Amino acid sequence: MTLEMQRPRPVWQIMFSTHHTDVGLLYLITSLAFLFLGGALALAIRVELFLPGSQFIADSMTFNRIFTVHGTTLIFLFILPFASAVGNYFVPIMVRYKDMAYPKLNAIAFWMIPPSGALIWLGFADFTWYATPPYSIISAPGPAADMWIFGLKILGISSVLGAINFVVTIMKCKHPDMSLGQVPLLAWSFLSSSLIILVAIPTFAAALLMLLTDRLGVSGFFNPAMGGDPIAYAHLFWFTFHPEVYVLVIPAIGMMYEIIPRFSRKPIFSYNSGVFAFVLLAIVGFSSWAHHMYATGMSFTEKTVFMVGTLAAVPASAMHVFNFLATMWNGRIRFATPMMWSVGGIALFFSAGAGGVVNAAMPLDFTTHDTYWVVGHFHLFVMGTIAFGSIGYLYYMFPYVTGRMYHEKMGQAHFVMSFIGAVLVFYTQHVLGLYGMPRRVYDYPAIPEWIAMNQIATVGAMLIGVSMVLFLANMIHSSAKGRPAGMDDPWKLGGKYYYPYQNKNPQH
Amino acid sequence: MYIGVVVALLVWVGAEAWNVERLVEHVPEDAEVIRVTGQQWFWTFEHEDGTTEVGELHVEAGKAYKFEIVSTDVIHSFNIHDYVVLMDAVPGRVNTVWFAPTEAGEHDIQCREYCGLIHYNMRATLYVEEPAA
Amino acid sequence: MRGITALLVAVLVAVPPATAMQAHAAGDEPGEYLDRRVEIWNLFFRLMVVAFTIGAIVSGTMVWQVWRFRESNPNAKPTPYEEKGEW
Repeated sequence: MTLEMQRPRPVWQIMFSTHHTDVGLLYLITSLAFLFLGGALALAIRVELFLPGSQFIADSMTFNRIFTVHGTTLIFLFILPFASAVGNYFVPIMVRYKDMAYPKLNAIAFWMIPPSGALIWLGFADFTWYATPPYSIISAPGPAADMWIFGLKILGISSVLGAINFVVTIMKCKHPDMSLGQVPLLAWSFLSSSLIILVAIPTFAAALLMLLTDRLGVSGFFNPAMGGDPIAYAHLFWFTFHPEVYVLVIPAIGMMYEIIPRFSRKPIFSYNSGVFAFVLLAIVGFSSWAHHMYATGMSFTEKTVFMVGTLAAVPASAMHVFNFLATMWNGRIRFATPMMWSVGGIALFFSAGAGGVVNAAMPLDFTTHDTYWVVGHFHLFVMGTIAFGSIGYLYYMFPYVTGRMYHEKMGQAHFVMSFIGAVLVFYTQHVLGLYGMPRRVYDYPAIPEWIAMNQIATVGAMLIGVSMVLFLANMIHSSAKGRPAGMDDPWKLGGKYYYPYQNKNPQH
Repeated sequence: MYIGVVVALLVWVGAEAWNVERLVEHVPEDAEVIRVTGQQWFWTFEHEDGTTEVGELHVEAGKAYKFEIVSTDVIHSFNIHDYVVLMDAVPGRVNTVWFAPTEAGEHDIQCREYCGLIHYNMRATLYVEEPAA
Repeated sequence: MRGITALLVAVLVAVPPATAMQAHAAGDEPGEYLDRRVEIWNLFFRLMVVAFTIGAIVSGTMVWQVWRFRESNPNAKPTPYEEKGEW
């Protein structure tokens, strides 16, 4: 009665399978592998910044390569594939269809990820995950930059194929008895994030090609020496990647919508407001991209327009937070590991959002832009919200995938250490930014406040690092030797909630 | 209900920000122009009287200065954090930002946009001096 | 709730003109310039006061909820949905 591993099979049977749970498993393992790789780079960055001067990374070029690959890996090779893993496992079940709409396309979309991951890691480019022109055109060394561009190109195609698959599965393959208004919120989150991908990604795909031809010297779109404008790249890039932020965060919110009612032993407070907020976010997400560019010499009018657009995205997020709190209200909450991660994720999501509102105020850009404030701010989203939601969901799906239970105490220790670590790292980085430390620096002057705060952040990062080792040990050990889970109700919560392994939701 | 509160707060944030931005963007008429050039990996400052400084900038307290910021290679970002001055140096564009130092002192100037190998050490010093007379 | 909204609207109407007048007074004197540090950091601190107030309310609510509605709380009782056996 499990989702996966019904019986031991040779690895190649899973690898060449097109069944949605097999592809989901491939996505899952790949994304976790990249989580640990990218996380290791984060620790390297933090150790290097523990003290001013050079610690163990020999030169700034290596450091620049490390933070570039760190960002690229965790966004494109951990967060996105992890969401696809969850979507592959659960979306077909939630819409009561036997598989994804296009199983082969699904497998193709997955198999584009390992080669692009290899391109990014073997190249190890140094021009930041934003591939900043004209640096990336005239200064970035050798094949690394081109490999990064090709890697991202392939990942973009993979995302678009995956998004098409999710949209068709949900819109066209859902059970005829089900209306769209009965599709669970997790599936809704995939629908809205997939629609964002379909609208947003082509812009970046075009920008990448233009960047490549600029590098080859046959065009000058973003190269001022040839009459181009690097700010045009900024617009194209952020038109894709500000909405992309919502692509990353919406599935994580959807995962919390599965976990929180389950462990609160109550239905979701308001299904409709959840759907409304997803759709609203998918639309207004496109109105805020240029708030990344206040300091590039935009006019007052442009800044005002994009500040309003940025603030417009806030009510939708507030609706999610309110919905979660109202769902927990009057519940009888079991704080098992998945619930802890979700609640911690909501707390960090709220603080990230509050920091974002403050940051949207355009004059504050003079104090915070490109400082560690920004680093702290977006890490509260990508780590505090998205990774927390995802890891919580991984614990949640663990028994359904493996048929075994993870080690509960270790899972809770993992959460506590990661939560404390995240607060230490990312809250401190906000303050560090207010003190003026620029991001993406290999070394910094020996200002006592900067040193102290960098050290706090490094200690926090180490705490997260240790907890991730626990996590890895827990996952590996429990999937092989864990106590068999009671598949009807692994957490003994009671009730007739439908279980993810059931092909049919009794309530629908 | 609660969304009303959220929206009211957001409107307040937007209005406050709009107002402050309007005030700080208004450049005084008599501001002296300093041309700032960013290049990998140092800053050059050119005063109105033609004197040029590299890596350090001398200004007088009590005067207003308008920076015209340009770059000759990649994007940099001119930043005097103590005076909340920040503006990108974008090749092919002239961006402006102004400030009026109030008292004598020394402040760090740094690059806040990633610009390559020695981005971390693309620094200069601002010397604010007492008015000459 | 309506009271809070009214209060916010009142603040909204009152605050920007007040700051605008002060700043203009400073800018009109020859040789007197607006201090951007003051304007920007004051804005920051105003926003921070509000952010930390809201933050205290929301995170306080969350902490209280987590403490009150955990199943090991002596006052915990099954939810109505549990009794019906469906949620």
